Amino acid sequence: MQQFANPTQFLSLANKALPTIWAVTTILFALGLYGALVTAPPDYQQGETVRIMFVHVPAAWLAMLVYTVMALASAVAIIFRHPLADVAAKTAAPIGAVFCFLALATGSLWGKPMWGAWWVWDARLTSMFVLFLLYVGYIAIWQAIEEPTRAATIARIVALVGVVNIPIIKFSVDWWNSLHQPASVFKMGGPSIAFPMLWPLLVMGLAYTFLFLALHLISIRSEITARKLRNLQIARGEN
Amino acid sequence: MMDWSANHSGFVIASYAMSIIFLAGLIVYTFNRDARARKRLTQFEKTKK
Repeated sequence: MQQFANPTQFLSLANKALPTIWAVTTILFALGLYGALVTAPPDYQQGETVRIMFVHVPAAWLAMLVYTVMALASAVAIIFRHPLADVAAKTAAPIGAVFCFLALATGSLWGKPMWGAWWVWDARLTSMFVLFLLYVGYIAIWQAIEEPTRAATIARIVALVGVVNIPIIKFSVDWWNSLHQPASVFKMGGPSIAFPMLWPLLVMGLAYTFLFLALHLISIRSEITARKLRNLQIARGEN
Repeated sequence: MMDWSANHSGFVIASYAMSIIFLAGLIVYTFNRDARARKRLTQFEKTKK
């Protein structure tokens, strides 16, 4: 595991893995969209509107997963002081923010026909909105603070404090009365969704996960390149 | 198969369109950023020589 923490070896491995990851992502998206729009039946209550689930739920899963990755990377950065962990956390944030925004926006598009409202200050929606604010705040820290070591220290704290929100999002529908439906995939006793709807949802979830993996590896590569340039400029006395 | 003329199908189309636009935008942004970073480093290394 230690060898992957070396930036040069990490880049070499990432460059080798990326074509395969993109190929798997494309296949998963094609299969997932086919299942979501062609084979999955309409819901007996929601009709065709249920198809929003196939883009809304994976976006929400990834928004939470990416923040958890950021928190874990921040913990690794604090414990092992490895700069690649900070790079991993920093570069995951914009991707997670887009997933979080999509979860909120597609949720709103699903809420209007089902609840009669674009937005309600419900526990699930509010905690998801807090997650979006955490993403924005985290990105703002890296943008606003010029000194990288100081920015990294504050960003690590924000990532670790903010991760408390992840179980709150997950269990908000159980802890409070909510318009949002309770968990129907990751729950005790197994999924309660019919298989023709479950498999496209899981495939779309995997497609989003592989897309994140591909984008994250490229972003880490960009950040390592940018840092290398910065170090060379400093060494040459340009900055 | 989705019934495109069903009630509220506009909300479904808007959700998929929004997801595709934002994810495609994210992919383009990520590739552009990577290409720019590599170009800057290459240019710097050329001027160093």
